Amino acid sequence: MYDLSSVLETEAVSEVRPGTSILIAGPAMTGKESLAMEILAEGSRNGDGALVVSTGDSAENIVEDYRDRVAGVNNLQLGVVDCRAEGSGGGLADGDTPPGLYVHKVSSPGDLTGIGIGITKCLEALHGAGAEEGRMALISLSTMLTYTNRETVFKFCHVLSSRLDAAGYIGVFTIDSGAHDDQTLQVIKQAFDGLIEVRDGDAGREARVMGLTDGPTDWSEL
Amino acid sequence: MTDSAAPVVLIVEDEPDVAETYNLWLAEDYQVRIAGDGDEGLDKLDAEVDVVLLDRMMPGLSGDEVLERIRERELGCRVAMVTAVEPDFDILEMGFDAYLSKPIRSEELIETVEKLLERSTYDRLLQKYYALVEKQATLETAKSGAELAESNEYAQLQNRIADLQDELSQTMGGVEDDADFITAIQQIGGSEDT
Repeated sequence: MYDLSSVLETEAVSEVRPGTSILIAGPAMTGKESLAMEILAEGSRNGDGALVVSTGDSAENIVEDYRDRVAGVNNLQLGVVDCRAEGSGGGLADGDTPPGLYVHKVSSPGDLTGIGIGITKCLEALHGAGAEEGRMALISLSTMLTYTNRETVFKFCHVLSSRLDAAGYIGVFTIDSGAHDDQTLQVIKQAFDGLIEVRDGDAGREARVMGLTDGPTDWSEL
Repeated sequence: MTDSAAPVVLIVEDEPDVAETYNLWLAEDYQVRIAGDGDEGLDKLDAEVDVVLLDRMMPGLSGDEVLERIRERELGCRVAMVTAVEPDFDILEMGFDAYLSKPIRSEELIETVEKLLERSTYDRLLQKYYALVEKQATLETAKSGAELAESNEYAQLQNRIADLQDELSQTMGGVEDDADFITAIQQIGGSEDT
């Protein structure tokens, strides 16, 4: 079981079953990405593997931020699939990385096969390094939706969730709820076991969890 | 006699004895078509074909060229490449779904064909699942919670969706291995070229 309750203070996430995929949805600038990264970082502090699939940030930036986030952790096992359309060029290249770091570059957020191969290679490397448990973050589905369409993204999420389930990993996927119509959001939600909604409340950032326990949790401060 | 609903396997193989051997192993459960070279293979290929066993080394069109044309025609068939040696390339990045190294044993051949058919089943189920999820989302965005709770149509839809989820999780062991994962994604589309 994965315990996310130190990141998100609710019982609903204190025992998350391996193989669970969770959608993190909220308007722009509400800390979805940082929540996803913190869920991964908490795992790294416990020796879990971490895998980031990024459509916006470069592998170099992700690695740097992540190292800061988990400062002091020994034997960090981090995989990054960098699928920005800008392409590679400089920095961390495939295969030329320090121990414990696995980077795979893909030419576009719409190249799902490439992303799938990147994820497969990173999972293989993480498993090879002994990370039997691990957490994956995909940031963000909104970008993938602009490169493809919701049918493709829905199916991709379903297949990827199944793969994570087989690996015993958990996954968190972010989506900007303000960037898509209701139909799209409803369809994408169905590909996941649970949903974390975030918003800017009166008292600051708030989150609630749905789908992992019987009813939705109350909004609580993040 | 194989019944006409049985899956169709196309064997593209330039050695008649080898093709006939495969035919013997498969004919009981599948409708088999045999082609002696790449051109004939492409002639005998249509939407009914489920699995192609494609010899890589043939006079005339090579297996790779045939594969390329098959993909261009966007038929839903699965392709197992038959090679003389273990391929040294990354199978995940090639456009075929499986490979077999000669000499092939009967169990190996049958297992591969079954696996490829299961992947096709998975794609069909996923397509059906997606269509139902779209319907469900349409109802959810158009109706209030109270209306949904009273809707028979909605309840039935939810049941069918749950059934399909179960079926999907039992097909291919729920996308257990890497090759299943990659081919399932390839089938979704969203490759760079499309």
